[in-house]
Amino acid sequence: MVTPDFLTLSRRGFLRTGSLLAAALPASRLLAADSVTFPFANGERPLVKYPQKRPLIRLTTRPPQLETPFSVFNESLLTPNDAFYVRYHLTNSPPKPEALQPDQFRLTVKGKVATPLTLSVEELKTRFEHAEVVAVNQCSGNSRGFFQPRVQGGQLGHGAMGCARWRGVRLADVLKAAGLDASAKQVVFNGLDTPFLPATPDFLKAIEADQALDPEILLAFEQNGEALPWLNGFPLRLVVPGHYGTYWIKHLHEITVTAAEFKGFFMNPGYRIPDDPCAAIEPGTTPKRTVPISRFNVRSFITSVEAGATLKAGVQTLVRGIAFDDGHGIREVVFSADGGRSWRTAELGQQVDKYAFREWTIAFTPERAAQLTLLAKATNRLGQSQPLEPLWNPAGYMRNCVEPVSVHVA
Amino acid sequence: MSPKLRLKLTRFAVRRLVATFCVLTAPLAEIPVEPAKNPFAADAWKLPAGQPEFRAGPAAELVTNNCLLCHSADYVATQPPLTRAQWQAGVEKMRGKFGAPIKTNDVPALVEYLTNNYGKENPAK
Repeated sequence: MVTPDFLTLSRRGFLRTGSLLAAALPASRLLAADSVTFPFANGERPLVKYPQKRPLIRLTTRPPQLETPFSVFNESLLTPNDAFYVRYHLTNSPPKPEALQPDQFRLTVKGKVATPLTLSVEELKTRFEHAEVVAVNQCSGNSRGFFQPRVQGGQLGHGAMGCARWRGVRLADVLKAAGLDASAKQVVFNGLDTPFLPATPDFLKAIEADQALDPEILLAFEQNGEALPWLNGFPLRLVVPGHYGTYWIKHLHEITVTAAEFKGFFMNPGYRIPDDPCAAIEPGTTPKRTVPISRFNVRSFITSVEAGATLKAGVQTLVRGIAFDDGHGIREVVFSADGGRSWRTAELGQQVDKYAFREWTIAFTPERAAQLTLLAKATNRLGQSQPLEPLWNPAGYMRNCVEPVSVHVA
Repeated sequence: MSPKLRLKLTRFAVRRLVATFCVLTAPLAEIPVEPAKNPFAADAWKLPAGQPEFRAGPAAELVTNNCLLCHSADYVATQPPLTRAQWQAGVEKMRGKFGAPIKTNDVPALVEYLTNNYGKENPAK
């Protein structure tokens, strides 16, 4: 039905009904499938139920890293909170619930500012204007498991991404209330998750001060109309539309304005890409120069057809999928049912937000019994598109090639 | 039954019918924008108990004592089969970049265990 070839649930019976009935079934039924196996070495993962989550694909236990089962992307355009992926770096993650409660949790704004601030979430909500964005959050290493040659790091399928409606206040408004000093160069963000060892670098991320004043960047307290889930950053997270999830600091409690460039581990050497327009180099080599990872490239997926699925000759199928980029907006999605020899233009669904998943659909009638490779390729308004062959970099970031789905026609 | 209540019930029944009809006849290609409500929103905030173990073998205890300080065994088990040099680099990265208190004398045994159990040189599980 809806599982592509890169994800095979271990119990097929679940697959037949799983995605359609997921919302209606009690959690116990969802436990029917207990693992998934990605088509790469060491690709078996358990499906595990975490607080406020349906069973998700567990990559690691401590700290937790959970991936969204791919069928979820065919359920709705916004990814449900209970299926939204989870990525932590540091041992003491997520922070203990007590530290996140309204009487405990405070956001501080300090460093090169005129007036340092200490704010509760309630104060943020009442003092600043609210703003919303529907935006994709995607892990830098989404799809890393498919890299060839393989690279070290979290071995993810395609499920370390999600699209949600984020509501919060503008970072720019809060920074203006604090008053940026003329010497301000960067703004550094810290969450309440901490390492086990004092010697381990904390997970801090920096952006340039002028970028931090972009009114689209939010300090979000709501995801899809609910308080943020515990594992997605409750009570406050940074939302940087169009940018990789590494910048979307969870449990955000400290904003520091600096006059010098911040040199923490997770800015350098962590989370860097080859300084090249494609963020790619010859497989197996080392980049000469690197820069911090920043904006998404263009991606698209077929979500309605499971690879290995059987389609009937002469019967029309509606193929559906999603596409997204870094906020320029998707201009076109083309579809091929013959491995890329010929392409037809798919119909685009409404643009919910320029940063959101964009639905596309196309009617397809396979003519005769055959083995087919279905492809989808998106292009954004800048003309940026997806390569047919995968690109490579040593950290396994930014995979965005066309992802083939093979099907039988009978 | 008051006429007002009856009217209300009738309206409700008609709405239900219309809603059901809409669901049944909706074209397959239409995917809702909004997600279904989160049935797990009220869950207790408690992480599931238990964590995976390292494969049995010489130095398994050494690996358990050193690596599990900061991360679970699946951080190792989910890596692609790595070469001895890659596991060596991995252990050095944990010591150098992440401050793992691994004794210099223990490094060879750790690398040996990781290569034998999760490495390219021995594909056996």
